[in-house]
Amino acid sequence: MKNKDRYPPDNSISSKKTTNNVVYSTDPADFFYVGVNIPCQNACPAYTNVPEYIRCLYERSYDRSYQLNRIVNLLPGVLGRICSRPCENKCRHGEPELGKPVGICHIKRSAADGKDPDQSYTEYLFPPQGKTVCVVGAGPAGLAAAHDLSSIGFAVTIMEALDEPGGMLRYGIPEFRLPREILKSEISSALRIGVTLKTGIKVGTDVSVQNLLDDYDAVLIATGCYVPRPLAIPGEDLAGIHSGIKFVMQVASGSPPRLGRSVVVIGAGFTAFDCARLALRLEAEESAICIRATEQDLRVTKDEILEAKREGVKVKALLLPQRIIGNEKVEGVEFVRTRPGEVLPNGRRRVVPIEGSEFVLPCDSVIVAIGQGSEPIASPGEKDERGVLIGDRITYRSSVPNLYVTGDFMTGPTTVIECIAGGRRVAEKIAEDLTGKKFREWAVRTEEATTTDRERSWDFIPRREMPTITPIENRFNSIETEVELGFESEEGIKESQRCYLCYLHYEIDITSCIYCRYCIDVAPRDCIKMVNEVITNEAGAITGLVETSNWREVNAVVIDNSRCIRCGECIKVCPVDCISVSKVELVERTLQGRRN
Amino acid sequence: MAQEHCVIIGNGPAANQAALTLRENSSDTRITIVGQEPFPHYRPHLLPEYIAGRLSQDDLCVNPPAFYKECGIKVRLGQRVVHVDFNKRELVLDHKEVISFGGLIIACGGKQRIPEHLQVFDDLMLTLKTPADAAQWIEQLSQVDSVLIVGGDLTSLSLTKALLSLEKRVIFMLNEDSFWPVPLCNELSEKIKHMLTERGVEVIKAGRIKRVTRVSDRSLEVETDNKTLRVGILGAFFGMTPNVKFLARSGLDIERGVLVDEYLQTRFDLVYAAGDCAQVYHPTIKDYWVSIGYQNAINLGKVAGLNLLGGMLSVDASPESIFFIDGIIVNTSWWTEF
Repeated sequence: MKNKDRYPPDNSISSKKTTNNVVYSTDPADFFYVGVNIPCQNACPAYTNVPEYIRCLYERSYDRSYQLNRIVNLLPGVLGRICSRPCENKCRHGEPELGKPVGICHIKRSAADGKDPDQSYTEYLFPPQGKTVCVVGAGPAGLAAAHDLSSIGFAVTIMEALDEPGGMLRYGIPEFRLPREILKSEISSALRIGVTLKTGIKVGTDVSVQNLLDDYDAVLIATGCYVPRPLAIPGEDLAGIHSGIKFVMQVASGSPPRLGRSVVVIGAGFTAFDCARLALRLEAEESAICIRATEQDLRVTKDEILEAKREGVKVKALLLPQRIIGNEKVEGVEFVRTRPGEVLPNGRRRVVPIEGSEFVLPCDSVIVAIGQGSEPIASPGEKDERGVLIGDRITYRSSVPNLYVTGDFMTGPTTVIECIAGGRRVAEKIAEDLTGKKFREWAVRTEEATTTDRERSWDFIPRREMPTITPIENRFNSIETEVELGFESEEGIKESQRCYLCYLHYEIDITSCIYCRYCIDVAPRDCIKMVNEVITNEAGAITGLVETSNWREVNAVVIDNSRCIRCGECIKVCPVDCISVSKVELVERTLQGRRN
Repeated sequence: MAQEHCVIIGNGPAANQAALTLRENSSDTRITIVGQEPFPHYRPHLLPEYIAGRLSQDDLCVNPPAFYKECGIKVRLGQRVVHVDFNKRELVLDHKEVISFGGLIIACGGKQRIPEHLQVFDDLMLTLKTPADAAQWIEQLSQVDSVLIVGGDLTSLSLTKALLSLEKRVIFMLNEDSFWPVPLCNELSEKIKHMLTERGVEVIKAGRIKRVTRVSDRSLEVETDNKTLRVGILGAFFGMTPNVKFLARSGLDIERGVLVDEYLQTRFDLVYAAGDCAQVYHPTIKDYWVSIGYQNAINLGKVAGLNLLGGMLSVDASPESIFFIDGIIVNTSWWTEF
């Protein structure tokens, strides 16, 4: 009984205890509903329950807010600082006429900052399964896989080539964005459930993959991407040219290279921005990021661009490097200007060089941060043309039995949250393969709810900006000084009030509706519709509404939850109480090791 | 195109010229100007005179209100466009009204630029671009005796004259890197310094502003890396930046402004951009440039209007006055240079 109280079987933690009926569903129609109507949770690769953790924070339940994050993304304090925030790009509050997206990531950090430092974590621990797994690589994917496998009951050993765990988090992200004590603390809490960590062991060199396969029931390769991609232009072998990832790692290891006064960074991702900002914390006086397309096409957050510019980094757009100029040492980069073309299926924009627009940008150093690839590891199994072990994107299996791959090693460079999600998924697959049992599953949890107690005025609260160190000069006092300061608690609460709570589902009972249209009159946007026909897909999910303004053709008045901002005004004016609210969440459910 | 609804976003010189060009060349086109400001089309360079009390608000206006009615141009003021859907050919206003368009000219102009490192002090600084800005100056000037001007541009020089006529103490922080639109050479810097000093302005040289603090209703403390000043108003004059944020997710090509070809056409059919918000590649300087100045905006507005009606006029490829002021090449990337 005690265990049941401590470890709720659905792994979810309600912000308020309730006795309302709860229904779980694995019906595809319900998953479709969540995908369309809770855009933040759906956009998160780890399916973090964003509305609920924001609600918990608003209720000042910092521990629960943190724990809701930790269930699926393992490192909330880390991600609250450096997540790429795909959720915010989809946040309904950011739709054209609704203002700016909620600061979901900053609220996550608020939960981490405000939680009880002695909080005890509550993952469900399965009994020992009698199997062993070796995880190669202690980056976000490896850590997430090791944590989940361990919680399922496997004896897990991580082998890490570098001196400390964390992978790119430890060596690829500067301390001014991610303080090391936060990282250390969250890694310790992930490993505390019995994971063995061995550092300084390079698999493929110090120990072979085949030996590991002989010694363990399964081996997972999650060694990330550390091989820099070259520009492949003339002059790239000159002195003064550095690869982005190696540069950041050199700084992280305490041995930064000499840069000179003026630095040009070529690249458009977080690593490029990290390099440009780090350069200004070293000896560089000028630091410019040169990108082939436009600032709109950058994949870093708006905050990152703003902070870099505030520090003096210049972003020079629509430039394609042609060659690096210099005799023995780099003296400049020749660029050609570009015109933006269409956006390609991979999300990148095609650019067209403008003939005759060549010019030279003088500099003392060039940092090339245009991406990385996986480092081939000597192992059995099918490889790609570069000699990197291939894994199936769904099963995570290689062509060798019991040898798996995940994270950036398998996919190429992605984001921390994608790696964590990949690590968790491969853990589930390995567990299923080794035991024939399923331990967890995603389900749609529906619970009766009262109407939201949000106030309409909260919709107009401006987005709270993250406070940072000012004057800017103080940031350069040390390369470790964290730039973002975190919200004061009241600011965090204020930002959490902005969330519409899209997990609330509003519905009109058409058997009771008297078609008075009061709800339509008070709706702040076109979210309640007079409908002639409801279009559904094969699974029975609503995919469209055929609206009509001809009263004779109206068959129902329907709330379009993909447009609704959950203000609750419709409920207040309904004369027959035919509008109900329920809470719909995507949750991970523990299956107690149910056999497939 | 003649029968379509042509919408013009903006109410500055480019927008108005585009509307008039459309009307002159197509009598039956439905034309709507949507302007964010509540003021009719005005002459921004007269704002300092208005602040000095030598002109009334009516004197700022370019056309009398009846003019647009006579021309058959609908003007909707104080209405902000928050989104444009080019597939549906609709734009959304901030009061959620949706307007359909057949042709569109984006001439939303620029907004006062505050360098990133000073944006945290945004609410402590005054700028001067609109009559609303001027009203703020007038209100605050009635309570203070001194003004610190940072950055610097032609408007700030006119304003300085106006402030002196109001017998205010003016301190001008002249910084070679942040004068707009030209980076100052020594000669020009000395010339401006001499001219200002002669008129009674205290010209100081200081580096970056580190901190601005309000110490009382009538006093600000400005800390730079080599001195601390106490003034009544801090005026920021760092030039302009295209005001195109609302188009960021529309699918248009945006660099700093809306990227257009030499015909001012965007990537979408019958959608053009003109004036301070349009960015054009210029082969002479091997860079993209944005039109600077009232007359250029009028020229571009005319080109956009004619091309929307089927013309194929290209913008002047060698307008030397844009690139050379007193023999100095205008830094066309001014918004990233400091």
